[in-house]
Amino acid sequence: MTRAGGPIDEATYDGLIAMTGGDLEFINDLVDTYLADGLDQLAALDAAVASNDAAALTRPAHSLKSSSLNLGALLLGEMCRELEEQGRATQIADASSRVAGVRDEFDAVRAWLLEHRATQASA
Amino acid sequence: MSPRSEALGRVLVVDDTPFNRQLLVRLLRTIGHEPVEAADGQAALDLLRNPAIPTVDVILLDLVMPGLDGYETLAALKADPALRELPVIVISGVDELESIVRCIEMGAADYLPKTFDPAILRARIAASLGQKRLRDLEREATERQQATNDVLAIMSRSAFDLQTVLEAVVEAARRLTAADYGAAYAESGGAFRVVASSGGSVELDGYERSHPIAPGRDSLVGRVALTGEIAQLDDVLGDEEYASTPGQVAAGYRTLLAIPILIDGDVVGVLALTRNAVEPFSGGDQGLARGFAEQAAIGMANARLLATIERQRGQLARFLSPQVAALVSSPDGEAMLAGHRREITAMFCDLRNFTTFSEMAEPEEVLGFLRLYHATVGALVVEHGGTLEHFAGDGIMVFFNDPVQQEDHAARATRMAIAIRERFGALADDWRRRGHVLEVGIGIATGYATMGRIGFEGRYDYGGVGNAIILASRLSSDAGPGEILLSQRTFAAIDGAVEAEPAGERQLKGFSRPMATFSIQARTRGAPAEAAAS
Repeated sequence: MTRAGGPIDEATYDGLIAMTGGDLEFINDLVDTYLADGLDQLAALDAAVASNDAAALTRPAHSLKSSSLNLGALLLGEMCRELEEQGRATQIADASSRVAGVRDEFDAVRAWLLEHRATQASA
Repeated sequence: MSPRSEALGRVLVVDDTPFNRQLLVRLLRTIGHEPVEAADGQAALDLLRNPAIPTVDVILLDLVMPGLDGYETLAALKADPALRELPVIVISGVDELESIVRCIEMGAADYLPKTFDPAILRARIAASLGQKRLRDLEREATERQQATNDVLAIMSRSAFDLQTVLEAVVEAARRLTAADYGAAYAESGGAFRVVASSGGSVELDGYERSHPIAPGRDSLVGRVALTGEIAQLDDVLGDEEYASTPGQVAAGYRTLLAIPILIDGDVVGVLALTRNAVEPFSGGDQGLARGFAEQAAIGMANARLLATIERQRGQLARFLSPQVAALVSSPDGEAMLAGHRREITAMFCDLRNFTTFSEMAEPEEVLGFLRLYHATVGALVVEHGGTLEHFAGDGIMVFFNDPVQQEDHAARATRMAIAIRERFGALADDWRRRGHVLEVGIGIATGYATMGRIGFEGRYDYGGVGNAIILASRLSSDAGPGEILLSQRTFAAIDGAVEAEPAGERQLKGFSRPMATFSIQARTRGAPAEAAAS
């Protein structure tokens, strides 16, 4: 799974800012929430893989999917959706590598978000 | 009934993902709603069932949650009668069509796509709020209608039981306007006293019941008594003219509403409602309370009407014979008054020499005599159960067996005639000494007559039409001084109960052939002429 541009769809992200009436402080809070929660969901995904429990993939993947899509992390959202489906189908087969892929993409998203926040702060 | 503005409501967000909750809460605030959060289904149910937390208008429900998930939460909501009506908007990805369908089937009102769009969020919440408002209004209207019906049912069941009506009115008014205490005051002797109440502490009710309120500016009931207009004090403590009473201090009520109970524009009572919080009664509440005050007024007017009818019936009985007075106010009175045919015995009684007497005596003397004569005969009519048809100067007509049926009507009429003659004898003695010779002449006849209301609108008599009545009248005219003449049929009917002798066949005015007559001799007195001479 690859992407053409950055990890965040800027149109979606800007839409989110517009939605809040340009309240950057709120957006920063929201991003903090997203990142903290994302780490929790990633930990839950790791635990599911470690215990070979495919069903346990579903909820964290679902949770990370919806917040990622709302933030504009479209590729990460799509990856989570696939993982969620895999969980529902209780397929553990290549879960380990898929979770690793989700973690890499999450890191890219985090880097973008933090960089973007810094840009905003300096702007 | 709360003063909250139209399109806005309290919205409960149920989502385990903090990011989603935070974003939704923010969006809801931007739109103008008041958000409440729950991290899972159980937390949501606990919150909704907590009476200390203000009620929620709409629920936004995520489906995939740890613990009680969205489906289970939805099922629990729909199984709870107190929460069943709350609109639930399910938050779901557009790719989860199946779960959306399942939720709608379970009773969800709508769904919201996972990728939040403020416009969609606003529209969906507004639609659900609208539906809920409509349902609330409907339920409120039904509740009010029911309460009004209840009061009306009580009024029709116990139309003249004022106490029951007022208690039902006060109870319904207090309950439906969410007041803490309600009381109906009735005017008596210039002060307004509690006659029915609902809610409130024993202390407050006891105080109000033992302290009548005089019209005046220092109390709201007093002000309404003065003005006849509905009045509200948003906060009694903020009103300069209002004088706090021990009752107010004990109950601590703050908001006060008072509605006049009016009959023909007069304040005959006041309906008062209190709230312990400073929470003014809305226009809707006031309208409702006015309606109940009107019902109280109808109840009071009915009670007055009843008292008037009772009084009139008492007075009527002094003018009409008691039998006719009772008939006029009896259930089958109308049919009886409309006319019916029955065998009766009619008695006519008038005075010999009355015309001469009235020419010679002073008018005051004549009136005084007539009063005495009427009183004497009237008492005897009542005593014998006769129906007095009329007094006309010296002439009196009484009949028996109608409207009250009497098997021995002929004998009663005859016995009464004898009693009249005896009493009149004593009465006439005084006048005889002054040179006025007055004697009664009585005729009695039995036969069929049509009885009922005779006359015209505004002046009706209860009377009859028939040969027996005419015959009795003619016999009375034909009777000698102090004589009682019976028709043949009356004589046959009394069957020897009273001693009577044949008095010959007489040619009477209006009758083509001579009529057989019978005369009853006075037992204790001699012939009237002899008595006059003695």
